[in-house]
Amino acid sequence: MKKSIIPACAMLALSLVVIAGSQTFLAPCAHEDGSLGACHWAGQALLGEGCLLAVLAAAALALKKERAGLYLAMIPSSILGICTPGGLIALCKAPTMRCRMLMRPAMIILFAAMLVVALTGWLLTRREAR
Amino acid sequence: MGASRLPFKNLLRKPGRTAALLLLTALLAAAVFGGSLVIGSLRSGLDSLEARLGADIIVLPSSAESKVSFKNILLQGTTGAFYMDASVLDQVRAAQGVEIAAPQTFLASLKADCCAVKVQIIGIDPETDFIVKPWIDESYSHELGDMEVVVGCNVTAGVGETLKIYDQHTHVVARLAETGTGLDTAVYCSLDTMKKLLAAAEAKGVTHQISSDTDDLISAVYVKVKDGWDVGLVNTWLNGHVRKVTAVRARSMFTDVSDSLAGISRAVTGLIGAVWALALIVLLIAFAMMIHERRREFAVLRLLGVSRRGLRAEILAETGLCSLAGALLGVGIAAAGVFPFTTLIETRLGLPYLTPSAVTVLRLASVTLLATLLVGGVAGAWAAARLSRVDPGVALREGE
Repeated sequence: MKKSIIPACAMLALSLVVIAGSQTFLAPCAHEDGSLGACHWAGQALLGEGCLLAVLAAAALALKKERAGLYLAMIPSSILGICTPGGLIALCKAPTMRCRMLMRPAMIILFAAMLVVALTGWLLTRREAR
Repeated sequence: MGASRLPFKNLLRKPGRTAALLLLTALLAAAVFGGSLVIGSLRSGLDSLEARLGADIIVLPSSAESKVSFKNILLQGTTGAFYMDASVLDQVRAAQGVEIAAPQTFLASLKADCCAVKVQIIGIDPETDFIVKPWIDESYSHELGDMEVVVGCNVTAGVGETLKIYDQHTHVVARLAETGTGLDTAVYCSLDTMKKLLAAAEAKGVTHQISSDTDDLISAVYVKVKDGWDVGLVNTWLNGHVRKVTAVRARSMFTDVSDSLAGISRAVTGLIGAVWALALIVLLIAFAMMIHERRREFAVLRLLGVSRRGLRAEILAETGLCSLAGALLGVGIAAAGVFPFTTLIETRLGLPYLTPSAVTVLRLASVTLLATLLVGGVAGAWAAARLSRVDPGVALREGE
């Protein structure tokens, strides 16, 4: 088995955690009046980024020749995920709100891990190609 | 290839085995560093709370819920309001043995918009206050003016901004340093400003559950006892002579917090001990298996002229490298799991939680690295001692 497939498996697992987390255990809190705050849309954006990375990881598992390019594509996607909560999309102001104390740090750690996995995958694919 | 590079080559040649050893030592280091960090933060939080609450006695209304509400305000940052007549302050000041008595008045703000949360508003008397004033002085050296407020570090409003409380515009003049307690989510103002806010709250339909005028309401009196006086005696006197109040010794108020902290410390220490024992046993087994698997390889090295001492050094170098890398990984994992989630841990535990200083954190990380290297070294030394008893000739003939 090629070693370069292992990061793709890890990426798929991590992106599934992001997808599930953004809607359940890491989701921002629901407002009592039913309105949708910026943190809700940050959660939706993270869901989208998680889906994108899951598709890229699945493609990297299936497509051997394109694997290096797919890993390269995962790098900016992971950086985008790191920048989204609180950076590109604002969150609630209070540090004790769920989006600030749970969703943001957890998502940044998950996307940072994905960035490391993507870089490792790219390096392994290049080494195997040589 | 030089002998010095052999340990690196051996570790890289078997990535699966190396990764397993690395993960094991990382788990050990993460348990030690993460556990110590949480315990250290809880201790810092309690120290910070005790330092901020420099009173000997706290006088509260005698209602049962006032004491619970007061503790929740301090520990968990929840809001609460309870009142007693301001005449209590004069009675407390008149008591023998009382050096200073400073009043505070509490008010809970309303939840405003989507992201605003209720905040505790605390009115202080700047002339007599010895609890909050020294703390405010660290950030703001002027007197608190009319409708001026100072906010705790977890309140969203910044310096210069306007904070709307019961439709009254207050001006934020300073932000306080972090304490790791519920006081971080409070807003502080003078008693004059508080009177206006209380009146505004009443106009909004918030009742104060006491017949007194809003000008004559206080929530708590902090008492400092004169040097040489017995705090217990003064406390008993206040309870016996001032009606409708409960005087509580500040130290006894946090006894159950200290007990909870001791319980958590015991649980975490037990967990760390269990992880260490388990990791040491697994490391010993792993190294024993590794040595058994590589008997022929080591026998060849012996026949090539490597001394027993050289082999021992080779094994210790491999275990040392693995332990160091694992310890660094473990410390990194624990740091990533604890530091970003400080507010979450504080909220969930409901206890004062303040991250120790950078120097303390670095010291903890260094101790973790040394301890993990020690455990790895012990396991490696044991494996090396076993190997030195093996005869190379016998090892090579095995399996023929």
